[in-house]
Amino acid sequence: MRFTRLHAGVLSTLLVPFASAQANEMNPDISVVLDGYYKQNATALSHRDEGFGLGHTELTLSAPIDDLFAGRLTAVLEEEHGETELVLEDAYLQTTGMPWNLSIRGGRFLSQVGYLNSRHMHEDDFVERPAAYRALLGSHYFDDGLRVNLLMPTPFYWQVGVEAFNGNQLTEGDEDIGVYTINTRFGGDISAAQSWQAGLSYLRNRQLHGEHEDDHDHGHDDDHGHGHAAAYTGENLYIADLVWKWSPNGNIRQQQLTLSGEYLYADELNEHAHSSDYHQGWYASAVYRFTPQWSVGARYGRVDLKEAHGDHFHDQQLKETDVMLAWSRSHFSTLRLQYTHQSAHDFDDADNTVTLQYVMTFGAHGTHDF
Amino acid sequence: MTSKPRALALAFGWLLAIASTQVSASLNVFACEPEWASLVAVLLPDAKITTATTAWQDPHYIEARPSLISAMRNADLAVCTGASLEAGWLPSLISRAANRHIKPGSDGLFFAADHTPLHQSHEHVDRSMGDVHPEGDPHLQLSPDAVPRITQALATRLSALAPDQSGIIQQRYLRWRGEWNLQRQTWRAAAEQLEGMIVVTQHSTFDYLLRWLNVAVVADLEPKPGLPPSSRHLRDVLATPLLSDAALILVASYQDDRPATWLANQSGVPKVVMPATVTGKPGQQSLQNIIGLLVDALLTHQAPRNVD
Repeated sequence: MRFTRLHAGVLSTLLVPFASAQANEMNPDISVVLDGYYKQNATALSHRDEGFGLGHTELTLSAPIDDLFAGRLTAVLEEEHGETELVLEDAYLQTTGMPWNLSIRGGRFLSQVGYLNSRHMHEDDFVERPAAYRALLGSHYFDDGLRVNLLMPTPFYWQVGVEAFNGNQLTEGDEDIGVYTINTRFGGDISAAQSWQAGLSYLRNRQLHGEHEDDHDHGHDDDHGHGHAAAYTGENLYIADLVWKWSPNGNIRQQQLTLSGEYLYADELNEHAHSSDYHQGWYASAVYRFTPQWSVGARYGRVDLKEAHGDHFHDQQLKETDVMLAWSRSHFSTLRLQYTHQSAHDFDDADNTVTLQYVMTFGAHGTHDF
Repeated sequence: MTSKPRALALAFGWLLAIASTQVSASLNVFACEPEWASLVAVLLPDAKITTATTAWQDPHYIEARPSLISAMRNADLAVCTGASLEAGWLPSLISRAANRHIKPGSDGLFFAADHTPLHQSHEHVDRSMGDVHPEGDPHLQLSPDAVPRITQALATRLSALAPDQSGIIQQRYLRWRGEWNLQRQTWRAAAEQLEGMIVVTQHSTFDYLLRWLNVAVVADLEPKPGLPPSSRHLRDVLATPLLSDAALILVASYQDDRPATWLANQSGVPKVVMPATVTGKPGQQSLQNIIGLLVDALLTHQAPRNVD
């Protein structure tokens, strides 16, 4: 009897250091995302193979570093075409003590262009990003660089930000600063029940200047050096995004309707491109969480692309409709059933598919971003 | 030639005007929940207060939306509950607002839960237990003992941030404390009457007050903290032998009342929906009002059953 009590005492002291879920004391916040799926058929421009597979398995550590800096590290394990890659998606420091609502981030991080790009994939409402994102940003564009954001001293929300990146995660090249971006966001509440946000972004890809273009004629085939490079690029990429959310009384616990859409346009595709040669894509999505545990959603998107063939381009087009039903037992677990319909011009692998996906998180509480 | 510099000067002047209005204004306070806004308003009535949530919103589930980032941007003080209640949205809000005065450990961020002992703190927590907070139950806004401690600490913090008004803040605190103590005596008298009363709740929203009033919670409509009531769990609650002794089913105004309605219909135990915090409506503007409403509701539901 005495022995067991002693035993329990030792155990509980051992457990104490692990008891706090938040990054107080000396422990960083640790969170893990498990993402797995079964996909019936292969689809065009997809980062998920058919059959059973693992999606975006993430391990994140984050904590304040001192009173002026915070840091975050996200390692992602991804499997694509039978190869497992370990990718660092975040490895950045962020200032927390700058004046004038300035914040500076340095290291590797997700670019803030568009609405979806700066979000981690496990927060998404559909199994994959819209086709326009997969084609033009490699689903999500992250890179090594520097960001400066400023919140303007206006009575409404207005953020202005610039980023400079190495650029090699988007297109391989020789420029020191291969990519820079400019982004601005506005937003507010229409009533207690409704909120909105709009954004405009510009991404300049400087790695695409004529002389660096190797003559890989059928540029977008599957043999890319790494899975994240965008298959379709242009020197200029413009993105406009709009999000509107509604909940009865603003109580998102019970119900939430989210409407979102983005438009992407890229030009100056290479030195042979004429003014009529550009990539263009958009999507519109509606997701309705009608009880705390169930949500339904539909998304339509299309992308019109130019595939480089030496000194000319071939037109490509992909139209995609997704319908999904998701169930979340708790805030930390989601099971999703999705049907995807693709119709395409000049994509051999376009198909319809059913995907069953789980996304589970454990560890530190994730954030509810707008 | 002259128009360009003039336009620039105009733009600059406009920016300056905005900047100066920010500086000359009184203390900007960001309150995560309306109960803390009501206390700040008592202690510093001329503060400009933005409240992030209402009595009809579950404070666990708020998004770091643009209007809140904007309000946090120029706040001098953020008053929140803490104990991980806002874990899903406050860190993101703080990070996006990039307001150097407001960050954990700084004077600009006040957590109510740091100034009073919490019930049900756990040494070991995992999510199979539901959304349990290791620090303890954060729903302390209706605790007759905790609120005065929090208000006292808040008065000290506000005095530090507005030293020119510290005298009047202390005076207002003492007046508030006197009124609270008076009310507390009537609640104490009610607690003696309510001793032995049994209720059904949803989540721990009212637990601090119920415990203080000697009212026992016989069942929770949530199968685990943070999980919505399931039909299977509701049938288990319906089968609880003590349910027939329960005086009422108490749910907060931000909670879905359909499970409670179902249980009320099945069991005959009345359902009562009450605000868990101040609402701004007449008679619901202070925490004393809300506690008074709850005490009255408990007393009225107790009386007829005793007569039976």
